[in-house]
Amino acid sequence: MAVSYDSAGVRGITVADAWRSFRTAIGLGWAIESNWSDPFLFAVYTAAKPLAGALILVVMFSVIVPPGGNTDVLQFMIVGTALWNVVFGVMGGLVQSILEDRERYRMMKYVVVTPSSLFPFLLGRSLARVLISFVAVALTLIVGVVFIGVDLEPDLLMLVPATILGVVAVIALGVFMAGWCLQLRQEAWSYPEAIAGALYLVSGAIFAIDHLPDFVQPVSWALPTTWWIEASRRGLLGHGADGVIGQLSNGEVMLWLVGTTAIVVPLALIAFRWFMYRAREAGLLDMTTGS
Amino acid sequence: MTAFRGAQASTPQEAADWSTGRIVRTNLRAIFGRAYPRIIGLTREPSWIFFEILLPFLAVSAFVYVYRSLGAPEEFIGFVVLGGAVTAFWLNVVWMMAAQFYWEKDQGNLELYFTAPMHLMSILAGMAIGGLVMTSSRALAVIVIGSLLYGVTFDVREPLTLALVFLLTMIPLYGLGMLFASLFLLWGREAFHLAQLLQEPIYFLGGVNFPIKAIGPVAGLVMATLPLGVGLDAMRQLAFVSGKTDGFLPVGIEMLILAVMGVVFLVAARLALGYLETLARKEGRLTLRWQ
Repeated sequence: MAVSYDSAGVRGITVADAWRSFRTAIGLGWAIESNWSDPFLFAVYTAAKPLAGALILVVMFSVIVPPGGNTDVLQFMIVGTALWNVVFGVMGGLVQSILEDRERYRMMKYVVVTPSSLFPFLLGRSLARVLISFVAVALTLIVGVVFIGVDLEPDLLMLVPATILGVVAVIALGVFMAGWCLQLRQEAWSYPEAIAGALYLVSGAIFAIDHLPDFVQPVSWALPTTWWIEASRRGLLGHGADGVIGQLSNGEVMLWLVGTTAIVVPLALIAFRWFMYRAREAGLLDMTTGS
Repeated sequence: MTAFRGAQASTPQEAADWSTGRIVRTNLRAIFGRAYPRIIGLTREPSWIFFEILLPFLAVSAFVYVYRSLGAPEEFIGFVVLGGAVTAFWLNVVWMMAAQFYWEKDQGNLELYFTAPMHLMSILAGMAIGGLVMTSSRALAVIVIGSLLYGVTFDVREPLTLALVFLLTMIPLYGLGMLFASLFLLWGREAFHLAQLLQEPIYFLGGVNFPIKAIGPVAGLVMATLPLGVGLDAMRQLAFVSGKTDGFLPVGIEMLILAVMGVVFLVAARLALGYLETLARKEGRLTLRWQ
């Protein structure tokens, strides 16, 4: 039997309800991330992981570059690895939220059948991890400035729009990943780390993309993460990467960031919509993989 | 089920009075039964192979390019590749040993383990053997692909000693995983955070991407507690020309440390498991999900 569907007639699908759904999900996500943890462990966990990631690079630098050597490369790496916490946080947050709610707490099907959309709930649910990732960015930069001698020269005209556009682009990538992971079986939990790891490699986060093989470099140029990192680095340090990208003007870098973000965001939203449609059709919303 | 069918017992006490042979056989079956899904999973879930090779390999590649961008000597590329291979074992220990009992509780298997007529150490041993076999293929792939792609040259003059060091490293490594399996279960919801905490900080302390002596006096602490760091340092000394000069302690002493660690961690795992079993019977809350 065909069922007519008129969303305008369904009570609850309004901006106000989406906002309420978003706010509730923020509270839920934060409770799961923090309230259920021992506060000391939570603080250690928030700080130790990103700082250790940065320290690995510091030691790698120190075993190769003699004391008193040029520290520009080290500053480049510290800022890149600090910012990359956002990518791990956003991608991991969105994907793990959707998988946890489906597999572990088994309540995603209930969210989906409410009049409100899953989308604001998903964004709110993962926001805690996104916020934690910003704390990690700040901590890494503070340690970089205080102990490693990172010389910050903030240029807010560059940094603020770069941050907004970059975070929007990364959230779009995370939304795409979340929809994609709904389609998968047991390996879904590994995807965010794998994709974020691949982007880490090709986005010039800790080394200039000129060091990559020639056939990989076009991929780097097509990614908004490359331009977000480059623009943020210029906004924080006053200078960007070495090599070809470093020779571009600030305006050109921002233009690349705007362009790649403008392509990625609608594509991600369309893909998510299709993934959700397919998940409903194939009965994937209440599937448990036992993983 | 016919294997254990014997003469009909007249009392429960008589039924419970197993011969030593039957106890040993049952525990060996438990070890094999728990190792089986991990070993057979090699062929049943090819996508796992992709991710378990890809994840360490992406990290290895990123650090290889960092060293190249710093103009590091070629043996450092080899250090990173070997470190990446050993990382595969550590990830297996953290996610598929330490956190495993917690996942098993969520899936409802843990109570079956407690009620089954075998020792829980057999389950842990099965997980360790299965994980070791499964991860060895991944580690080997990382070494082969990394060596071919990045032109790593190994100089193995004592292959038997190297094999012995590898074995001596794996025993305390998986013993530590067995110990953590009980502790993670006791710490409940923190399991995910703890598993995260045991990655980058341990990669830093274990000298996965650089010679361990580069972290200074802290390396002494690592030598006393972390089999990953000790084993990796010894393996590098035996696998690379410059390994000896970059080593923290002579290989013989490191082998002795690993042997002691193996005994200590296995005994500690046994004690922790005993405590866990007592707690399971006394409080009955270890079978509660999401706690």
